[in-house]
Amino acid sequence: MRRLFEQIRNLLSTGRHREHRSLSALFGHFQRVLELNNRTLAIIASMHDKLGGDYIFDLQYLRGSKQYVAGTVRELIEAFDAMAPGRHPDLLTRFRAIRSQLESELERKPVLPDIMVMPLSGVTASDMDAVGAKSARLGIIASSGAAGAPDGFAVTTSAYLLFVRENGLAEPVERYEQAWRDGAMSAAEASGKIRSLILAGAIPGRLRRALSRELEALRRRLGDRELRLAVRSSAWGEDGDLSFAGQYDSFLNVDPEDLNDAYKKVLASTFSPPAMAYRREYDYKASEVLMAVSVQAMVEARASGVVYSLSPVEPARNVMEIAGTWGLGAPLVSGAVAADRFTVSRDGEHHVLYKSVSDKPEAMRFKPGGSVHMRPVDDGLRREPCLSPGEVRLLAETAMRLERYFKKPQDMEYAFDEAGNLTVLQTRQLRIGAGGEAEGADLSDVLRRYPVLLSGEGDVAQQGVGAGPVFVAWEGRDLAAFPDGGILVARLSSPQYASILNRASGVVTDIGSPLGHMATIAREYRVPTLLNASRATMVLQEGETVTLDAEQKTVYQGLVRELKLHDFMLDRMEETYEYRLLRRMLRLVEPLNLFDPDAPNFTAQGCRTLHDIARFIHEKAVEILIDIPNATAKGEPCPGGRLALPVPLDLVVLDIGGGLDESCAGGLDGLKLRRTILPEQVRSATLRAFIDGLTRDGVWQSTPVAVDFSSFMSSMTRTFSASGAGAGRIGQNLAVISDRYLHLSLRLGYHFTMIDCYESPDGTRNSVQFRFAGGVTGATRRSRRARFLYEVLKTFDFSVTVREDLVVARAKGWMARDVGRLMRLLGVLVGYTRQLDVSMIDDAQIYAHCEAFIRIAEQAAGT
Amino acid sequence: MTTSTKTSILILDDEPIVSKRLQPALEKMGYEVESFYDSSRAMARVLERSFDIVVTDLKMEGVDGMQFLAAVKDRSPKTEVIVITGFATMDTAKESMRKGVFDFLAKPFKLGEIQEVIRKAEAHVCGEDK
Repeated sequence: MRRLFEQIRNLLSTGRHREHRSLSALFGHFQRVLELNNRTLAIIASMHDKLGGDYIFDLQYLRGSKQYVAGTVRELIEAFDAMAPGRHPDLLTRFRAIRSQLESELERKPVLPDIMVMPLSGVTASDMDAVGAKSARLGIIASSGAAGAPDGFAVTTSAYLLFVRENGLAEPVERYEQAWRDGAMSAAEASGKIRSLILAGAIPGRLRRALSRELEALRRRLGDRELRLAVRSSAWGEDGDLSFAGQYDSFLNVDPEDLNDAYKKVLASTFSPPAMAYRREYDYKASEVLMAVSVQAMVEARASGVVYSLSPVEPARNVMEIAGTWGLGAPLVSGAVAADRFTVSRDGEHHVLYKSVSDKPEAMRFKPGGSVHMRPVDDGLRREPCLSPGEVRLLAETAMRLERYFKKPQDMEYAFDEAGNLTVLQTRQLRIGAGGEAEGADLSDVLRRYPVLLSGEGDVAQQGVGAGPVFVAWEGRDLAAFPDGGILVARLSSPQYASILNRASGVVTDIGSPLGHMATIAREYRVPTLLNASRATMVLQEGETVTLDAEQKTVYQGLVRELKLHDFMLDRMEETYEYRLLRRMLRLVEPLNLFDPDAPNFTAQGCRTLHDIARFIHEKAVEILIDIPNATAKGEPCPGGRLALPVPLDLVVLDIGGGLDESCAGGLDGLKLRRTILPEQVRSATLRAFIDGLTRDGVWQSTPVAVDFSSFMSSMTRTFSASGAGAGRIGQNLAVISDRYLHLSLRLGYHFTMIDCYESPDGTRNSVQFRFAGGVTGATRRSRRARFLYEVLKTFDFSVTVREDLVVARAKGWMARDVGRLMRLLGVLVGYTRQLDVSMIDDAQIYAHCEAFIRIAEQAAGT
Repeated sequence: MTTSTKTSILILDDEPIVSKRLQPALEKMGYEVESFYDSSRAMARVLERSFDIVVTDLKMEGVDGMQFLAAVKDRSPKTEVIVITGFATMDTAKESMRKGVFDFLAKPFKLGEIQEVIRKAEAHVCGEDK
């Protein structure tokens, strides 16, 4: 009876309060979106954190994480759908696609990008699955500038799959392999059948076109030189523990006309009897047999050979081995010819400790028309060393650089051309056996003999052992002076060190968080990193050689060779299957592709990762709120109003819960009824801090800067779509606030600023995002302003990205621990840059403004 | 007999990655470590000799962690047992095994965390010796 009465009452009251309730429901949904968005980001960060090598995790963890992150994003999509029912149906489609890719990764079916070929110079570590380990490492070498690498391109694993599919090979290959496993067919017979099927296959049209396009591009890059190719295998899964070294075929001096045939021959070698046996031994699934191929422009080598960056025979001696011969290196690698040998110190000057020059009667040379053959060496050269002392040293330096980069001793193949240019043809991890490990078991005793400088304190951002001279990055120090292989010691972790991390052997800071941006970059380069070690800058002396063992959170004085060696022999977490799987899963979860809300890909269909989905939803959810002042013109009640400020910033504040004093709540007939909110009525601490910065003396330029006519005209040709909000909202500055959240959309001096700030309950997951775009002047001045923003935001430890005149700055975790300080700073920045681009008449202005700004801002941020 | 002075540790987890990663790190700290992926083999081993510290997962095929634990404690009451288990099963684990277990760690854990727990367990074992 009572229930019935309530129902009737509700029914009657619906009409009267419907709009009010819909708005509070909307705020409720928005709060939920915020909460789930933050939870998603926290899960992603926590998954990423496991990449540091400090955690021990198993498959069960990976399965659980997939469930958790996918479940949360699913809830996020539902919460958003409650705000905008049915508006973005594609979100769910994209979500399902990504989730099913995650599932197939967990079922050991790698997800491959749909691309046929990639130029080697554009390949990065994350393309490992697409191009195979060998090409990926060459791409990394090329892009890091660590050494000269061959020009060329990679034919992807997807191309292989397309070839297999279009030629209907999967079924017969499976059948012959099974016959061999069952013992019904010999390995040679099964291999022969499969190989002839592959050689008889037709290259799919799409792949053929891609190959000729890449060949053409390669020809253009090389100019006049006659193009000869090396076509090599670069199989998937060849990195880490398993090396298929020498089991697949390579073809040298290939005429570009014959590329398609050489490609098929390399594919066919996937099914050589030893490769088949090897895969059976290591329990490869059919879905994991994926052959990528690298196609490289060849140089007629004067001398070639191999470097072992650490002697595998006597690892404890701390020397490297270099072997070389005249001509191409293939016969040396296969052991068919005598070689010159050099044993070289791994330290500083790389002294030659031992040298043996052989009689080299023959060398491998290009055969006219294609392929290679052995030719006699001139009598005058047979007994001459094939490498000069300078070349030996260059090889030693290069091998050490690659070892530092890849964190393990390297087995590197190289060639010098007639002009003396060095090219690294291939490099891979050199397995150091337990041979010299007699002392390994008692490493703990050995370690006790070394003086300990720091121990037991700090947070590990990246596991590992690194040794080198200390470089103390005191304030204002030129980072260009950082020595290759140095240990970076700094007071604070900061993204500004990103540029030198790939050259560092280790990092120790007094303060810093493993969740910050620098930690992310340290993990990307796998630089052993210890943050929050409290006394590092006081204890570690500039120039002194030290050894950092992040695992033990210990810094030893001097070079602890035994520790370094132990680290080389260790199966590190990073080299396990589980770790690589996490990396691949994160690729579907973590990268942010939706960067600019005005870019054409900023759509539900454009979401390629779960992070993209969260980002898209956040942006669109905020847009819905920003629209409220327009949409509620009918007079819907709304908690908020215009903020009274001493500067002419027409700012409407919308409170979605706890952001304004209770005296502002209720009884308000829509924002159009100019209700005034006094600064004292603002409860949101972050908005108060922002206002404080904005209204400081000297921040808001009182006289508008004159806009010259040409600047103004150029602004007319720019659309206002750079706002990230539609044309309907131009001119309305809006703050959406709650007790923990602040969103600002501002249009000042023809540019658009977006600030999004979240303060987490315990302060560890705070985040501040700042976005700035548009402007009244031409491209040059706008880009100067972008440069100015980049410089100052970096000074205050933001992580900053600039694309044309769009500047995006982020601070999170430790860097955002004091959101009040950052918001005050951004208040100053917004006021200061209001019409800055107009005064950016030359580059010198950038730095003049930087200095002036930093003076004001430091004063403001300090209070 | 060079190892007799070292504290001995047995690790049992059916996912090899756990001991693969843990063993070298503990050896570097000066412990003597044996790893097992298969609980029946580990069971056979603890019947042969006693360990100062046992680190074990709970949910495994064959002999489950509980039985294994009981056998360890039965054979050698002085042995300290550290249970490592998935986050989801943590509460039930704690509930049912409060007695006789030195400490619990939720997977995934940091190397430093387990090193710390092992150090404490070692201090406990040594303390009892005196």
